[in-house]
Amino acid sequence: MGRLALMIDLERCTGCKSCEVACKQEHGLGPGAYRNRVVWLGEPGRPGLDFLTVTCQQCERPACLRACPVNPKAIAKDEATGVVRVAESRCTGCGECVLACPYGAMGYDPALHRAVKCDLCADRRAAGRGPACAAVCPGRAIRFGERDPLLAEARAEGRRPVEHDPFLLDPATVYLDRLARGAGPAAATPVPLAPPERRAPAVSDGALGRAPFAAQAVRPPYQVAREARQPDRILPGGCTFCFNCCTTMVHLQGDRVVQITGNEDDPVLGGRVCPKSQLGVQLHGNPHRLTTPLKRVGKRGAGRFEPISWEQALGEIAERLGAVRETWGPEALGIFAGTRTGVITKQGYIRLFGQLWGTPNVEGTDPFCATGKTIAYELVQGRVGSGNSYTPGDLGSAALYLFIGDNQAETRPVYFGMINDWRLRNGARMVVVDPRRTVTAGKADRWLPIRPGTDLALGLAMLHHIFAQGLHDEPFCRANVLGWERWRAFIAERGYTPEWAAPITDLPAAEMRALAEEVARAEGCVIFASRGINQHTNAVQTNRVLMALAAVTGNWGRRGGAFFNMTAGLPIAPDAPPERQRTPQQPKVRRNPTGWTEAMLHGRPYPLKALIACNNPMSNWPGQAEARRAFAALELLVHIELFPNETSAHADYVLPAATGIEQGDIGRSNDDRRVVWVDKMIEPPGEARGDAWIWVELARRFGFEDVLPERYKDPAVFWDEVLTRNPQLRGCTQRRLHSVPYRWVRIPVAAEDAPEQETLYLEGTTAFGAGPGRRFPTPSGKLEFWSEAQEAMFRAVGLSALPEFYSEREQLVDLPHVAFTEDDAAQGTLSPFHKTPTASSPARLVAAAPDGPGAKLRARGYDLELVTGRPPAPHFHSWTHYLWQAQEMWPDLYAQIHPDRARALGIADGDLVRVATAHGAIEARAWLNAGLRPTTVFVPIGWGERQPYHPWRSVNFLTDKTQRDPVSDQTNLKTLLCRVSRA
Amino acid sequence: MLRSRTLPPPPVADIGNRRLVALTLVTLAAVAAYALLHPLLPHGWRTPGTPLLYLTGVAGALLLLVPAAFSWAKRTGRGGSPRRWFLAHIGTGFLGVVLVAVHGAGRLGRPPALLYLALLGLIAVGVWARVRIARGMSATFGSRHPAFFTPRSAATERLRALLDEKRRLLARLDLGAREATFSPTLGHWLRRPRLSFAYARLAREESRLIGTRQAAPLAEAWWRRLHLALGVVFFAGLIAHVVTVTFFAGYVAAGRAISWWHLAEW
Repeated sequence: MGRLALMIDLERCTGCKSCEVACKQEHGLGPGAYRNRVVWLGEPGRPGLDFLTVTCQQCERPACLRACPVNPKAIAKDEATGVVRVAESRCTGCGECVLACPYGAMGYDPALHRAVKCDLCADRRAAGRGPACAAVCPGRAIRFGERDPLLAEARAEGRRPVEHDPFLLDPATVYLDRLARGAGPAAATPVPLAPPERRAPAVSDGALGRAPFAAQAVRPPYQVAREARQPDRILPGGCTFCFNCCTTMVHLQGDRVVQITGNEDDPVLGGRVCPKSQLGVQLHGNPHRLTTPLKRVGKRGAGRFEPISWEQALGEIAERLGAVRETWGPEALGIFAGTRTGVITKQGYIRLFGQLWGTPNVEGTDPFCATGKTIAYELVQGRVGSGNSYTPGDLGSAALYLFIGDNQAETRPVYFGMINDWRLRNGARMVVVDPRRTVTAGKADRWLPIRPGTDLALGLAMLHHIFAQGLHDEPFCRANVLGWERWRAFIAERGYTPEWAAPITDLPAAEMRALAEEVARAEGCVIFASRGINQHTNAVQTNRVLMALAAVTGNWGRRGGAFFNMTAGLPIAPDAPPERQRTPQQPKVRRNPTGWTEAMLHGRPYPLKALIACNNPMSNWPGQAEARRAFAALELLVHIELFPNETSAHADYVLPAATGIEQGDIGRSNDDRRVVWVDKMIEPPGEARGDAWIWVELARRFGFEDVLPERYKDPAVFWDEVLTRNPQLRGCTQRRLHSVPYRWVRIPVAAEDAPEQETLYLEGTTAFGAGPGRRFPTPSGKLEFWSEAQEAMFRAVGLSALPEFYSEREQLVDLPHVAFTEDDAAQGTLSPFHKTPTASSPARLVAAAPDGPGAKLRARGYDLELVTGRPPAPHFHSWTHYLWQAQEMWPDLYAQIHPDRARALGIADGDLVRVATAHGAIEARAWLNAGLRPTTVFVPIGWGERQPYHPWRSVNFLTDKTQRDPVSDQTNLKTLLCRVSRA
Repeated sequence: MLRSRTLPPPPVADIGNRRLVALTLVTLAAVAAYALLHPLLPHGWRTPGTPLLYLTGVAGALLLLVPAAFSWAKRTGRGGSPRRWFLAHIGTGFLGVVLVAVHGAGRLGRPPALLYLALLGLIAVGVWARVRIARGMSATFGSRHPAFFTPRSAATERLRALLDEKRRLLARLDLGAREATFSPTLGHWLRRPRLSFAYARLAREESRLIGTRQAAPLAEAWWRRLHLALGVVFFAGLIAHVVTVTFFAGYVAAGRAISWWHLAEW
């Protein structure tokens, strides 16, 4: 056998740290103990962000081995494979090897006091498998094999290995250098692995960040010998954390999860898995889990509770809910569910309970994230989500990937890994439009640092140029697009040229023209959009404009051409029998739950007195100051959760919930239309119960057991009997889901034996469930951008179905924006955009003016643009902050700020800073990052002040509940004026 | 579905920081308790040189030979698992400290008290390294990323010349050995001290050129050498003490009665 090695491709690595998680699981390593580590390297003066996977170099002349004072050495080198190993039974933990390694690639376990190092997973190799890191890598950035063939492979791909042997140690590990980027002023600069002045940001993992991990936080399978964590069964499952919806293999030892790996049988993901999926190990047996029902005994927020039985908890809750209904009516109950709750519970059990109870006030986190794109998809395509798939023949065949407001690399790392891989294999181009040089932007050929909140202007300018140059796909438009000519005329009439858009977007007109031409001429362009587009007051219109960009260039209903806005949606919307539904007498207060606070505080437009919260609204509702006052005014707050948090501290009753594998569930709605089934594999901890169990039990206490009978406590039964009634899911039965080793089915499937469809809406096809000859499931069978009916809908909320430009009211330049003519206390008008009667506040467009709201704030010193969003891949909302390893990787809340601005403010990397908007203030650690617009500040979501390791106030103390899209009621979370100072 | 695996032998369990700190505190408490109770104790328990305290000293010294034996076992490959020896050196070290403290009967104004200070220093450095410096060592991982960006330079050429020299020397020191994985063992030092010294000097020069020890925080870079140096000082002192009280008992007694075993005529 030749010399074994890892080949690490820096162009493919996205810094997600999935390899780190896999490694720690595989080898049972606790905090501070590393065999590999992905270091994020920034450069103070350049917008570069790069990642270096540090792992043992398996040197021919291992300095560590020579430094070991033990005889025979506690470090040995296999002469056949070149692999250098630690003999842990001989190591006394003196640390001489750690000192000796010039690459900093020798690990040291500070708890067990011994050297640890990568041995290329010797035990896995003995079983005929490769290293764990390579198996899970979402970007296929880590390859394993004999060194010479790996080098030949790299040469065949035209790649250049990095020269990194100044010490003559002859390292075996191969690093493939970054590729040079396109030219141009806004092009992403080439990032060779060279400048020594690169450094890791102070907010990334460090020794200080590990200090809070008490011994009780680290439980098996970590820090225990391998034989103590051997599984007795390995079952296929799926991750329920995020919207990538990875398929997994859950390794179980009795009722204990000892490892989670990717499912290598999955024909799409092939074992790729992101760090969160694997960190699921730490959800189970977690010392912070809620394990028994609790009843508040102190005042709200004091966190004093007494444990009670389920019988008492549910009995008392039912009694108090009954009293609320008796006094205030059924509409006085609100139910708020989030991503933690799970799709089946949120869209199934809770929906049915709401219908039986008679409250319209049932909502999830969509109005914070995605209602803008949902409504836009429904208007344009008639159904939510792209019809394309993550397959080589579909998305893998595109010539251009354009990301606008979508940091896919950090939010869906595995999908991005696939896209990036196809980009490199096929020589496709990638362009990213984002105020930040995100990880996604770091891989792009061009990065356009747009002013936040102005993507609508960019889209309009690109459309203008495409129409003006005749670059649109006219045959496609004529056959498949309704209203495109009206849009063309409107855009021309308004003069939405690239020159018009340049000062708005802060992008050169030439860049916009070039991008428009590139999109129009590409042989297949996939436009990705996400929260950067959705979390604005112009969410629906921006989505429609970007959809129009895809449509008029013929990038819709074809392989390798698409508009994607994160997740395809899941058609789960069961209805109780009409005779059992209790029709609410009032419309939903507002679509956005933050529009409920007036109802909670002052009973306007009608009282909302009780709330059942199924995630953490006291962190994730925008405008926290107001939200917290509203929660304090509730007569009853019930909280169903996995971990104690701000909401549970204020709740009257806290009910301990279960995770996916503790109850049975499906994965999240994802881009790829895959429904991933997760079996119940273990019991929840203590007295915790699945959400299904809780809702069925609660329903029983109100006489709803005919619709939610006892057997529906099993989500698998509920799935087959209720949810597969939807035509799109009819063939997605438990039997079919369990007939494949990866447990997923790509929908729609009309019958158990119906084939899955790789690409929907292809030319000559009829859309699923649509009338004959209708290629798209809209009333006209075409992609609809303007119709009389749509115009009337938009007029009802004060806008037009034509794409009139407006932005946010808090901007560094004065731009048109929307203003509600009534506040949330008013009755409002019924919105035509929602499926159930929902009140909305009418709005009007306000022209740009030099004395506008932005100007007033700027005069008060708010001179930076705050953008909020997701932190790096290991974190998702608040869940992961209870998992020690996610916190080890990214411990502290941070505020990214441009080094030039930081210097002017006297702020150094890692300093404690105060970020303030007109709506509130928080503290965070500064992360100096030149990969930002110089005027942008970025603060991530997910941190909360009651989290166990690194508590920080939620970013939503900075956001504003009143800045919402009149169409979708979506909150603006991406453009707020702020100021930053040293705390 | 289950994977078959070849399981390596489990390492000997570590003492763990908590237990180590607890052991330290117990040791200090025992020494403090003796110091507090000292005036109340019978004469035989508070006067240096009494048969009781003499035997206590002998027992303490014997226990403190275990750490020396650990050092020997670790470097010769004899005596079994180095990790077991390591644990033994901790346990016997702590117990030895207590016994030596009792043996000294709190007389800190005399030269042997310096030995006791060295002993306390040994413990302090050892415990500090295990509990605190270990964190720094773990944080070293991934902290030397500039090494991946450093081009070959004049230092590389100096290293190349040095390696040639090492290889030439090694051919004389240990013909069958490979420079890539070789460092002198105790056997080499005993058999060929001059060549071993020369080789170690070259290895130190290589290390200096690579620069990792200089770049490391002071405590991480030097704690072990300080620990070893204190150990050498202690054992040298111990030998001197044994020789003095055995062969120069009159000098040690300074006119008082000699109650310990000694050789008066030699």
